[in-house]
Amino acid sequence: MKSFGYTAVRDPGEAVRLGGRPGTAFIAGGTDLLNLMKDGVTRPDRLVDVNGLELAWVTETASGLRIGGLARMRAVAGHGSVRRGWPVLAEALLASASPQVRNMASIGGNLLQRTRCGYFRDSGSPCNKRVPGSGCPAIDGWSRGHAVLGGSDACIATHPSDLAVAMVALDAVVLVRGSGGERRIPIGEFYLRPGTTPHVENVLRQGELITAVEVPRTGMARRSRYLKLRDRATFEFAVVSVAAAVELNERRVRDVRLAFGGIGTTPWRSPEAEEVLRGKDLTADTIARAGRALVRDAKPRHDNEFKVDLVQRALAELLEGLR
Amino acid sequence: MTELVGRSVARVDGRAKVTGAAIYAADQPVPDALHGVLVMSTVARGEVLRIDASAALAHPGVVAVLTHRDLPKLVVPHFPYVKRFIPMQGTAVHHVGQPVAIVLATTLEQAQEGAALVSVDYRAEKPSVVIDDAREPAFLPQPFRDRPNEIRRGDAASALREAPVRLEARYSSATRHHNPIEPHTTTARWDGDRVTLFESAQGVLVTRTVVATAFGLPPESVRVVAPYLGGGFGAKGPGWPHTLLTAAAARVARRPVRLVLSRAQMYTSAGHRAEYRQHLRIGATREGRLTAIAETSTAQLTATEDSVFNRSDSTIGLYTCPNLHVRHEGVRLDVASSSYMRSPETTSHFGLETALDELSWQLSIDPLELRRRNHAEFNQETGERLTSKRLLECYAMAAERFGWARRQPRTGATKDGDEYVGWGMATETHTFAAMPSTASVTVGVDGKALAQLATQDIGTGTYTVVTQIVADALGLPLRDVQAQIGDSALPPAGLSAASATIPSISGSVDQAARAARDAVVALAVADRHSPLFGAAPAEIETRDGRLVHLRDRHRHDTYRAVVGRAGEPVRRTATVLNQGGHTYGVVFLEARVHARFGSVRVTRVVTAHDLGRVMNRRTARGQVLGGVTWGIGHALMEHTVFDRNTGRVVNPNLSTYLVPVNADAPPEVETLFVDKPDPASTAMGARGFGETPITGVPAAIGNAIYHATGRRLRDLPITQDKLL
Ligand SMILES: Cc1cc2nc3c(=O)[nH]c(=O)nc-3n(C[C@H](O)[C@H](O)[C@H](O)COP(=O)(O)OP(=O)(O)OC[C@H]3O[C@@H](n4cnc5c(N)ncnc54)[C@H](O)[C@@H]3O)c2cc1C
Ligand code: SF4
Repeated sequence: MKSFGYTAVRDPGEAVRLGGRPGTAFIAGGTDLLNLMKDGVTRPDRLVDVNGLELAWVTETASGLRIGGLARMRAVAGHGSVRRGWPVLAEALLASASPQVRNMASIGGNLLQRTRCGYFRDSGSPCNKRVPGSGCPAIDGWSRGHAVLGGSDACIATHPSDLAVAMVALDAVVLVRGSGGERRIPIGEFYLRPGTTPHVENVLRQGELITAVEVPRTGMARRSRYLKLRDRATFEFAVVSVAAAVELNERRVRDVRLAFGGIGTTPWRSPEAEEVLRGKDLTADTIARAGRALVRDAKPRHDNEFKVDLVQRALAELLEGLR
Repeated sequence: MTELVGRSVARVDGRAKVTGAAIYAADQPVPDALHGVLVMSTVARGEVLRIDASAALAHPGVVAVLTHRDLPKLVVPHFPYVKRFIPMQGTAVHHVGQPVAIVLATTLEQAQEGAALVSVDYRAEKPSVVIDDAREPAFLPQPFRDRPNEIRRGDAASALREAPVRLEARYSSATRHHNPIEPHTTTARWDGDRVTLFESAQGVLVTRTVVATAFGLPPESVRVVAPYLGGGFGAKGPGWPHTLLTAAAARVARRPVRLVLSRAQMYTSAGHRAEYRQHLRIGATREGRLTAIAETSTAQLTATEDSVFNRSDSTIGLYTCPNLHVRHEGVRLDVASSSYMRSPETTSHFGLETALDELSWQLSIDPLELRRRNHAEFNQETGERLTSKRLLECYAMAAERFGWARRQPRTGATKDGDEYVGWGMATETHTFAAMPSTASVTVGVDGKALAQLATQDIGTGTYTVVTQIVADALGLPLRDVQAQIGDSALPPAGLSAASATIPSISGSVDQAARAARDAVVALAVADRHSPLFGAAPAEIETRDGRLVHLRDRHRHDTYRAVVGRAGEPVRRTATVLNQGGHTYGVVFLEARVHARFGSVRVTRVVTAHDLGRVMNRRTARGQVLGGVTWGIGHALMEHTVFDRNTGRVVNPNLSTYLVPVNADAPPEVETLFVDKPDPASTAMGARGFGETPITGVPAAIGNAIYHATGRRLRDLPITQDKLL
């Protein structure tokens, strides 16, 4: 591992000031960053430890939920307000990683974790995301874990966070603080598709700190669920996952949010599938049509064709359970 | 007198292991040691053109960067070193992850960063790394360890032609890696022309031979120490380049060197289970009796080796079949060497046991009954009667406990909630070895016993079983017996591979302990100060550390008093030879297949095994639990992925190479044992066992999936996409 400087901060202003220098990274739980550093994938010069900041709270307000950027996955998953009002969040978190990782890992760090693409994490392989312009071996190589939606000729890696998928289904807003002040970024605008610049994954600027995530209170949120399919029973990333939030009037869908993991280059919202369902009854037929709308533009590769089918099955399973 | 052998005795080293008191190879304090980190080739086929170490050498703490130019010339050892070359002796590159340089530094982090800073130019050619991409057709390799790769019996071709019933199918299996939790490690320290290695080794003497040969040293000049092992599964048996390169680097640097392979490096450094294809043709009578088997397998060999490790032992001899033609073929690929991996026969056994299930459906014969009809009473190769084979008893015990008689002979017959439920079974078998082993047992002046031999505990329970045997033979409580193993300076003993430890060492340990007991009894009856003075040795019983006159029970003495008075320890040594053989068993299990997602869970397992005498029920059951879980991983998830363009392993870590977690293990595994001593075994009636209880699990799962769904899957692992 490359030698690096280390400063622990107690004040967000100081974090932002120190974090603004190129080559600096924030460290929270370290559950992703340290792996990347040990594998030589990321090589920061300096770490700014933000664990001392007073950002580990979860509060319920009239308008919704506020989760501090340093709240731990375990604390959020077990929080009574979350479980009652935003169950999809608790379910997505409990389906993530292991208890040990959840004890350490923060919400901000979770949203910023990097892809599990094996080529990205192997510093001996080319990879456009790690070394821009070096190529993407996944496109003609091992693509089972990769995206069928949102990819480009430069990169087809999935975003691995389960939490982010749930947040997308809840229209969350990411609150960040940087040298230029504070910004509120709707989660739907937070992540970027790879295009020709797969190394740029989100709209954060150098030194911007995630201070909180706000989740609005909605009827849909209370009726929200997460379904994750994986290659072993637990402690594994999604092959495909679905977050659904639905508001029903009898069987009729008043409003719905659908987001997906494992199939997109970003936590994938599908307005097309939502549109099919809005104002309709949740029947086997409308659900099937929503599934087809979801994958209309899917571009499967050698090893991930099955996801096109599997994600529709997962969607059906979840929506049938919400009827 | 047997009190402890056979019982469920908890591991005597358990506390040391869970408290961290157990010193593993990389924990050994070695003053002044440098840390070594290997730089490994990033290309699969080609040549090293230039190595630029200047940036690495400029890095703080880096002491040296050694390449093929710096190392002494080494002799390539023969088996059990399975690789046919030693890296860093020249510039040719045969696989990704072949060591090309070693960086030595004061701290581990400095050595790692130094390794990252070494820049290597290669001439690279496009590699072929999977069987589908082989440049040349499959061929029949030379015999390996004197065993031919083509086996014929009778006339399989005509028997197949004439068979009333025929079955033909192709089975395949992905590459797998051992993944012991303790990474491979070597610490080498030279004292003149003698070298000591603290090594993660399954065989301290094997490693000693390999190192002595490579450096042209007499074996006595090499000492290998491995008191504990964090799993090996075959990966730490043969002796591998990193050990030799560490020793060579320490010699050049004139400092001790410690090297620990990273998890990713382990995927190219210490063998794997080769990618495998199997084409089976079976002929049978309408009653299901096998008349012919023709099998051609294709294994992933390498550019430099053609050893076939996954022999079709069960195809050759598990069932009665007069006509046989087996060919173990292979193709040369640009991958790192393969090797033995826990139950090498698992790969071919999957095909055979699946084919029998297919035949049972074709003939509408219960799969268990089909196996009974083909039960082998005789060794199929030599014609000798198989003595003490209790497989039929295993079938009966486990079938009864599982409730197999209630099986519905239709596919898709049972659905429970969202899942189809199916039952499957398969025979289990493993060929174990026995290796010459000497043991010594010393009774000290404190009345405590010490057993010493150069075997090892690879996590399976050797310390415990040795302690049990000695305690029983001497009549000492368990706490007064210690075992010292894992050091090549001790009396020579077999390596812990091929399920050979128990069959190799038990007889010698028992005999040495009995001899020591007899010697102490002889001391007592000859000692005027002993209450037993003048008694006949045959009249003395030893129990709980005491020597008691059988008829005159108030005459007694203790080990401590007798040996204490004698003033010097009593030491006896014994060598009892044993033979290898076969262990048998059966697994029945229930699997559930999600109707919508195709995901599979194993929900109930019953096994029965015949391993001769069971030395310790608890550690034997541990082997079954580990084996069943491994079998589940083998069937449903484990596989190593190669990038076909570059030859690199794409999933070289435990977050993407999936092994089962607790939630994948079945809630219930019932482990039954016949537990009757094998009279032919000089190891107190015990046979080798550890690898047996994986062998049938993958086929049993596939067979249960078929029963559940009517879908026959012949390619492992069975991931959920294959069942959509
Ligand atoms: C074995 C394993 C299994 C896992 N399985 C899953 C899974 O199934 N599903 C899943 O969703 N995740 C999974 N994860 C990922 C895990 O959720 C993330 O590693 C974790 O959430 C990261 O949080 P952290 O606090 O440890 O972040 P760190 O590792 O400390 O940081 C991650 C990144 O975020 C940045 N950062 C951290 N905090 C902030 C902040 N407040 N503002 C700005 N930048 C910040 C860091 O600079 C770094 O770039 C798994 C991880 C492991 C190790
Ligand atoms: S998919 Fe993206 S992350 Fe993976 S190798 Fe290609 S560019 Fe790199």
